[in-house]
Amino acid sequence: MKKLRSSTTWFAAFAVCTAVVIAMGLGAASARAADKEPIDPAPTLKDYTALAALPDWSGTWTPDMTDQVKQEKTNPPPWTPEIAKQVKKMYADEAAGRPFEVIDHCFPTGMPSWMLITHNAFEILFSPGRVTILGEGDGNRMRRIYTDGRPHPADPDPSFHGHSIGHWEGGTLVIDTIALLPQVYLAVNEAVGIPNDGDMHIVERMHLQGPDTLHDDLEITASKLLTKPWLTTRTYYRQRARKYEIVEGVCAQGGFIDAKDANGHDTFAPITFHDNVPVGSK
Amino acid sequence: MNRANLNFFLAGIICMSGLGAPAASAHHSFAVYDNSKTSTLKGTVKAFQWTNPHSVIWIMVQPAGGGAPEEWTIETTSPGVLTRSGWTRKSLNPGDRVSVEFHPLRDGSHGGGLEAVTLLDTGQRLEAKFGAAEKPGLQ
Repeated sequence: MKKLRSSTTWFAAFAVCTAVVIAMGLGAASARAADKEPIDPAPTLKDYTALAALPDWSGTWTPDMTDQVKQEKTNPPPWTPEIAKQVKKMYADEAAGRPFEVIDHCFPTGMPSWMLITHNAFEILFSPGRVTILGEGDGNRMRRIYTDGRPHPADPDPSFHGHSIGHWEGGTLVIDTIALLPQVYLAVNEAVGIPNDGDMHIVERMHLQGPDTLHDDLEITASKLLTKPWLTTRTYYRQRARKYEIVEGVCAQGGFIDAKDANGHDTFAPITFHDNVPVGSK
Repeated sequence: MNRANLNFFLAGIICMSGLGAPAASAHHSFAVYDNSKTSTLKGTVKAFQWTNPHSVIWIMVQPAGGGAPEEWTIETTSPGVLTRSGWTRKSLNPGDRVSVEFHPLRDGSHGGGLEAVTLLDTGQRLEAKFGAAEKPGLQ
């Protein structure tokens, strides 16, 4: 019996040791897999052909600004009491002609304010694994929405437009956006917006609402600002006339006028501003 | 070199010598203008700045009481939006005589937000429309 106990102990120790070795091996393999940078496969003819099955969102989309104002008044964000005080002051300043500048320094408007308050047009491009939204107005208005099935990165760099992944549910593009810079505003107009302070999360359901009308149903969660998620919709209209095509919009260029340098070359000369308003051509 | 070009030449020199005012943010809310009021001015276009996010009409206006012409700064929307309501970058040219209707700055400074401009020699009236694309399929 003593011998048997000894054999059993030895066998158990061997089994545990083997399991540990196997686990270590698996762990190392797993770590190697995690270390490996993902490589995107080259798109195939099948991938391009699959795009034809998506809804037609071609053309240029222009915002319904009248509806933006209506939404702002009838369905405001559920601001916390403290934020509501700040918002009230911003409305008072705007009415008094001292607007707080939400779209300042030529920074991109950012998400979700671009979709909420834009006065400018945008276009939507489909390519394998990607939906890209290109705007007009401030510099670098651009959204990359990955539809190739990837998750969000574990710790993405925050940005003005965040990290967006999307998938199709029938004709609806569902977009999940995180990793927005804490300074990026949740804005209801160009003079009323509050920095999200760091944990904003946006889920959008973008879909045609008729042949030439696009709806973006947004669910915005921002615990530092809102008492509950804010559900709101914005409307855009399709234009096919060529004069509606997107043009380049370099925001900083508005701060300069055409000039000649000392050698007679064409150059940009800064114009003079006062309180963000141009007041002199030199 | 005409006067306007001379001014811009000098501006370029000043810019490169580092003495020019730093460029400020070009994008701002039009709530800075008094949208409850409309003013009208006649003058001569000094330059038409066709830029994002806002275009600018620089106008020289002869003061009613005499003296040297004064520069007025009338701002309007982006080339993209203006193109869709019939404007081009050549709609206004230096030397054009114009009448402008605008929302004035609240402190009386020589500036405003454009409502419409009329070319006095042709009678052509160009409006600044911000929300002119609120239905699909516009021509």
